[in-house]
Amino acid sequence: MPDWNRLVRKRMSGALKLEPHVMEEVTAELAAHLEEAYERARAAGASERTAIRQTLQEVVSWSDLRAEIRRTRSMEDGMTRRTKLLWLPAIGILFTVGLVLVIVDRAPALQQFIWIAVFGLLFGAIVSEGKNLNERTKRLWLPGFASMTAASMFLFAASTVADPSRFFTQLSLRPQSVLHVEPGPGLTFYFSWIIAHLVFGGLGAFMSRQAGGTRSARVFAAMFPALTMFLLCGIVIPISALAQHNLFVERHPMTLIFGMMIWAGIPGIALLAGAAPFLSERGRTIPL
Amino acid sequence: MTKRIRSKIARGSAELAILSLLEDKPLYGFEIARQIGERTGGTLKFTLASLYPLLYEMEKKGWVQAHWEANAGGRDRRYYRLTPTGRRQIAPLRREWRLFFQALDALSGVSHA
Repeated sequence: MPDWNRLVRKRMSGALKLEPHVMEEVTAELAAHLEEAYERARAAGASERTAIRQTLQEVVSWSDLRAEIRRTRSMEDGMTRRTKLLWLPAIGILFTVGLVLVIVDRAPALQQFIWIAVFGLLFGAIVSEGKNLNERTKRLWLPGFASMTAASMFLFAASTVADPSRFFTQLSLRPQSVLHVEPGPGLTFYFSWIIAHLVFGGLGAFMSRQAGGTRSARVFAAMFPALTMFLLCGIVIPISALAQHNLFVERHPMTLIFGMMIWAGIPGIALLAGAAPFLSERGRTIPL
Repeated sequence: MTKRIRSKIARGSAELAILSLLEDKPLYGFEIARQIGERTGGTLKFTLASLYPLLYEMEKKGWVQAHWEANAGGRDRRYYRLTPTGRRQIAPLRREWRLFFQALDALSGVSHA
């Protein structure tokens, strides 16, 4: 009987740059497979020569197999050259400059531009790594990140014409005022922000569906901006208010619940409404 | 049909075939190939070159976990076991394939062919 271990080792050597113990394991496993295929052929009555020939037909191209095994067993960083040389350095430089500007509290307009650019570059990097992304990232995290980026971009863009944070604070502290708030940039911002959520929700669900996401993945991807706001308004702000012994919040705890409704609940409904056309299984696309 | 589309379809169906088989019990590579061939009457056939890269990829994704164990003949074999993540892939993959065949059926009546 041929020495299958030796044969595999010889055919797999050279181009494979695996860790020695992984190489050992792969060789042992493939050799065991060939050995069993050979024995089965012999047991079925094939001559030694025929059995060897049949067994060797298990691999048409050893060079293709080496490449495939290297791709699947290698623990190498799978990042593309473009990501390493272009996206990551650009993100790193811009992020550092943005951080310095935040610390020294200078050039707010430039800061906003930098954060928008960082978001854009980050998104570009993820898209360029498309082939290396796992299924969950393609179906869940990437669409969720896209819908959150779109919502964040809207906030950044809105802040160039009005200051949404003032309205944010005012409405969070007195949520009932949304019912009789006077028309103005604040109200215009809030309602246009909610309407824009229809598009963000649609975007997240659409991307997830294109990648083959299940219905729950599409809902999660669409709801990502509202989930982030829920974490902020429902966990971070209450904990920080309690830690600081914020008297207003302690006397008016319902404010937090209203705040959550306004900043996470209502946008969540809008996101879901935007996602609705992409939740049906009938229109689902199977990526080929 | 381009080579890329053919290969994606083949890969997708092979993943479901392996996951469905491992749903019953852990198996090693040769047994996976043998049982798939046997259960499909030879319609689906794995070779060493098509099977192991796929198994390694599924292992990398965390769908299966491998360990060495002696088989019935007392020889050490690398057995693949379904992980909870792998188990969760089965239902969506089945739905996707059902949808795929429904779509093909609507287009060309493959189920009546």
